[in-house]
Amino acid sequence: MVCLGERGVCLEKEVFPVKFAVVEKVLDLARANSIWPMTFGLACCAIEMMSTAMSRFDLDRFGAGVFRATPRQADLMIVSGTVTKKMAPVLVTLYEQMPSPKWVLAMGNCAISGGPFVFEGQYNVIEGVDLLVPVDVYVPGCPPRPEALLEGFLKLEEKITGKRRFPGPESRW
Amino acid sequence: MVERIKAELGATLKETPVGEADYRERGYHLFAEVASADLLNVARFFDERGFYLAALICVDYKEYLELVYIFSNHASLCKVKITLKIDPAKPVAPTISTVFDCAYWHEREIREFFGVSFDGHPNMTYLFLHEGIDFYPLRKEKIPVSDEDKKALGAFRPGEGEDTFFVNLGPQHPSTHGVLRVVLKMDGEYIEDAQPVLGYLHRMHEKMAENRSYLQFLPNTGRMDYLGPMAFNLGYVTAVERLCGIPVPDRANYVRVILTELNRLSSHLMWLGAYLADLGALTPFLFVFDDREEINDILEPVTGSRLTYCYFRFGGLYNDVDDAFVAGTRAFIERLRSRFSLYEKLVGGNVIFTNRTRGIGVITKERARKQAVSGPVLRGAGIPMDIRKSEPCAAYGEMDFDVPVGTRGDALDMYQVRIREMENALNIIEQALARLPEGPIMTEKAPRKLKPPKGDLYHTVETPRGELGIYIVSDESDKPYRMKWRVPSFSNLMIFPELAKGNLLADAVAILGSLDLVIPEIDR
Ligand code: SF4
Repeated sequence: MVCLGERGVCLEKEVFPVKFAVVEKVLDLARANSIWPMTFGLACCAIEMMSTAMSRFDLDRFGAGVFRATPRQADLMIVSGTVTKKMAPVLVTLYEQMPSPKWVLAMGNCAISGGPFVFEGQYNVIEGVDLLVPVDVYVPGCPPRPEALLEGFLKLEEKITGKRRFPGPESRW
Repeated sequence: MVERIKAELGATLKETPVGEADYRERGYHLFAEVASADLLNVARFFDERGFYLAALICVDYKEYLELVYIFSNHASLCKVKITLKIDPAKPVAPTISTVFDCAYWHEREIREFFGVSFDGHPNMTYLFLHEGIDFYPLRKEKIPVSDEDKKALGAFRPGEGEDTFFVNLGPQHPSTHGVLRVVLKMDGEYIEDAQPVLGYLHRMHEKMAENRSYLQFLPNTGRMDYLGPMAFNLGYVTAVERLCGIPVPDRANYVRVILTELNRLSSHLMWLGAYLADLGALTPFLFVFDDREEINDILEPVTGSRLTYCYFRFGGLYNDVDDAFVAGTRAFIERLRSRFSLYEKLVGGNVIFTNRTRGIGVITKERARKQAVSGPVLRGAGIPMDIRKSEPCAAYGEMDFDVPVGTRGDALDMYQVRIREMENALNIIEQALARLPEGPIMTEKAPRKLKPPKGDLYHTVETPRGELGIYIVSDESDKPYRMKWRVPSFSNLMIFPELAKGNLLADAVAILGSLDLVIPEIDR
């Protein structure tokens, strides 16, 4: 019997965990080119996320413009803004509701490390969403420009398929 | 007006004197300190004379806690500060939520941030915070929340009844524009009760203000209201300038007006798109973002950012605008004017939209005053009040524009008021561009280290969403002793429960959208 497992196809899951490398690759390619993010606007960064999805920056070029309002249909959670202690349980619940395989993109300094809201005596901000859920791509900025978010998507594709869609900018360091 | 109120208030209060303050320095005309037995009488006094409760603030002076009530008037400029001293060991004060409905929310806020409990308040439970925070954040000393208090604060249980059930709208919901949560008590498809639960984006701005110098706090203002950051910047810099007496050159004042109005346009455009997306029409969203990007193209070279601007400085601007900016703005005015007819065809003349919004969420003048709503919502309800007219800052006093008002006070009126406001904003920008004077953009007299003289100030400006009030207490150090932000969205949200009552759930979303809420601004 053939079954569709978490990350690929396997035969008789319990008995012979066989994986088909080629099928796996094809599936990954499909996933990377149709990332469905969740509509999850938290704070200021969410506006830049919307700008990215709109006509000028056109996230649809990368097959990632299908924002879903429910976590059950999404594979990417863009954490776009500050995560507070009151919001944290909600965020974790949403993450758990997403079907695997799933990815998380931390957008903006707030999601990465608490950003500008970390000071002595702070009592309500989670200093980095990676304390709550595993993060795949970090996009710094306050807020990051839409181009930066697009680059974040390309990085995620690279992570999924192992290949970069475009030749990247030459590294200067 | 001020004279009359002073005499009448003096007669009501008998023993306690009513002082007259320098309005230019303090932002209010009269002040008086009352005893807690008198408070309710004073509230009724202002209610009878058509005042509204602009802000309710608590300040911790260590030896005592002070409650500050700012009463203001829509018809003519008269602001009164009433203070009430309470004992920090046993902080209790009488509630005035029976007179002014909006106090219900302010008092709940003060309860969780300062631990002051209000006698006679129907619902003293958490609004912003949660059980995980075990001290009163805005008290100067760390005072733990006692178990008893915690139990009382966490007692929020939506009531029960036969045939009713509860729907959580938010905190993750596309049409709450962020992380607002409203607990709706439903009877079938109809709403029986709505209780907003806030604080999912509480970022401690007020606490931070006490830990930063005046200049260091400036970038925070742009993050409070991310759709209209210029107006928040403007409010903050003009407040500090007023406190320290820093002059501003003419050119800077004009540029401030132009940029604030451009930002107002982009904020209203965003509202238009988001509102229609809430109602189920996604196309306008794409159109408005096109226009928004044009505004960003103009603002970005000048301010250096696309969203969370931080461009104004105490005493002037960060850098000067150039000819390309002027030409770009002129071209944009032309462009947007021609787009209005498109929007009119797409939205305003669309029967689905007009039938959907006409007659829902009707706000009467009286309710608008009691709940202290402001901005386009207030004007939609028919009260012609615009702080750009009544208390002009920057160069608004020299601009010629009218104040559009609605006639029915429903959601459709809010739409029309905002559209006319956008046209007005274009006119203002055009006038300011035509008269843009040459000269320096930064005053030479700005001190490097700001240490405002002792005292307080209540300063207001008109943001795209309404009245922003900033209350600063200075103790002559380089950090504010207390800074309170009276934010428009918070006040506008307060009227939502009564608007939603008895309506269909689908209409509640349409009403919520018409209020134009920005959540980080509510939660601060
Ligand atoms: S990183 Fe900056 S822009 Fe983004 S949510 Fe935080 S404060 Fe706002």
